[in-house]
Amino acid sequence: MPSKDKGQGLISSTDQELVLSSLEPEQLAGLKKHIIPRRHLKGPERFVIWSLRIYLLFMIVVVIYQVWASAH
Amino acid sequence: MNLGPLSRLTQWGVNQQDVVITHEDVDRAHDRVRVSAARAQRGAFSKFRLLWLLVGPGILVMLGENDGPSMISYAATGARFGIGFFLPFVVLTFCMAIVVQEMTMRLGSATHRGHAELIFDRFGPFWGWFSMIDLGIGNFLTLITEFIAIRAGLGFFGVPPWAAVGSALMFLCLAVAMHRYWTWERTLLAIAVFNLVFVPVALLTHPNWHAVGHAFLTWKPLPDLSQDTLIIILADIGATVTPWMLFFQQSATVDKGLTTKDIHLGRIDTVLGAALAATAAVATIIATAPLFVHHMTAENFQGAEFAQALQPLIGRFGAALFALGIVEAGMVASVTISISAAYAFGEVVHRPHSLNLPVTQGKSFYSVLFLLAATAGAIVLIPALPLVNVVLLVNVVAVLAMPPALVFLFMLANDREVMGDLVSPTWANILATGVVVFLTLAGVLFGVSVIAPNIFAFIGGK
Repeated sequence: MPSKDKGQGLISSTDQELVLSSLEPEQLAGLKKHIIPRRHLKGPERFVIWSLRIYLLFMIVVVIYQVWASAH
Repeated sequence: MNLGPLSRLTQWGVNQQDVVITHEDVDRAHDRVRVSAARAQRGAFSKFRLLWLLVGPGILVMLGENDGPSMISYAATGARFGIGFFLPFVVLTFCMAIVVQEMTMRLGSATHRGHAELIFDRFGPFWGWFSMIDLGIGNFLTLITEFIAIRAGLGFFGVPPWAAVGSALMFLCLAVAMHRYWTWERTLLAIAVFNLVFVPVALLTHPNWHAVGHAFLTWKPLPDLSQDTLIIILADIGATVTPWMLFFQQSATVDKGLTTKDIHLGRIDTVLGAALAATAAVATIIATAPLFVHHMTAENFQGAEFAQALQPLIGRFGAALFALGIVEAGMVASVTISISAAYAFGEVVHRPHSLNLPVTQGKSFYSVLFLLAATAGAIVLIPALPLVNVVLLVNVVAVLAMPPALVFLFMLANDREVMGDLVSPTWANILATGVVVFLTLAGVLFGVSVIAPNIFAFIGGK
């Protein structure tokens, strides 16, 4: 039954009414398993994301070097 | 046949067999009923009550980000540079935080999905896992520094490190033991407001208000252009805008149950949080400004020396308040950061993730939250662990990780299929682009200063 909460037993019909009248459909925990459709990235978007990813990796190396240099 | 309240699912176009109504839904529905009741009434009191019911994620994320390393960064700023450029600069960083965090609140209210979940669903697991790795590493490093701050703050009162870490973990367990988002939020808000304890500490130092006013109006005196200055600049930016904040506020907005009708008050919540946090940050810089003459640096931090150094100036009571402020900052942030990681984990692996969950239903959520914090706490107890500069460097790493995180946020907030008419307006996009460019340039400048340490002396003609 849809009204059954597996871990806690039955949800009363008053509570069901409360939930369905107060929450929007997407707010129901059970409906969050529905995946939002995938969006394919465009060329410029891929370029920006990859550039920033490379930037981050490079800067992490810089920080590690900075720590090493400070320690010595 | 009358299916009762469940017939509404059919009206929504949802297959009834797909839906299991949970106690998490019931708790959230009770909260929404109170919001609807307050919205239906007229009068100033009802408006205030509505605001009271809806504030929370924005204030918590901003005061949560005024965490241990952040307060240490502000304290180091005051001690290293005194009153000047950094006072208005810190306020500017909070303005950037408002721009960024407003987008997460809007995304959460419009989609009822957490940030990690949206990135995974919309851009796929490849980019999703990159974001999660950034978040996981950033959260773990930041949690370590929260425990450093707690250990240091309680160390001022003679509490041994093991007891400090243990009490922080106990606080974390108590904070989430209520199994009710609303109770957790109100309790943590009450504790987080203690962040303003830095205001009376600042007043106890009898600040030079003329210098404070001059600094806000002119941004002067300017600091020297050096690698030390750059590290403090990046640390102060990292003290205000970090990746975990994006994930936390969006997930908390969803867990609280905010909808598109609440976006206006969600903005007020975010701005209010930023104002409170900026006040505490500015107060901390002012409080430690008298140490400027003693040239304290990050190396002096271990063992809460800032509080000890202030003691001759503001007395034992003032110093104790300062140390307690550091402890509070670490405690609140250890809760919010652990929860942001647990939310993200639950969203990605599609496990229940809500503070409304009883332990029996949220085993993975509570396990991730506690294990992450316990591991970070254990690391802080390793004898002779080199903690010097770790606190500041964690903030620097947070700044470096922000631009990639912001690009996903930017794309999601402008995705009409996800946001409908609630996509970011042009002015918000200009501001957000400005924040990304500013953070990237600050990181690049830091990189240049590390690779070519003499560059600033060369530019300055020295």
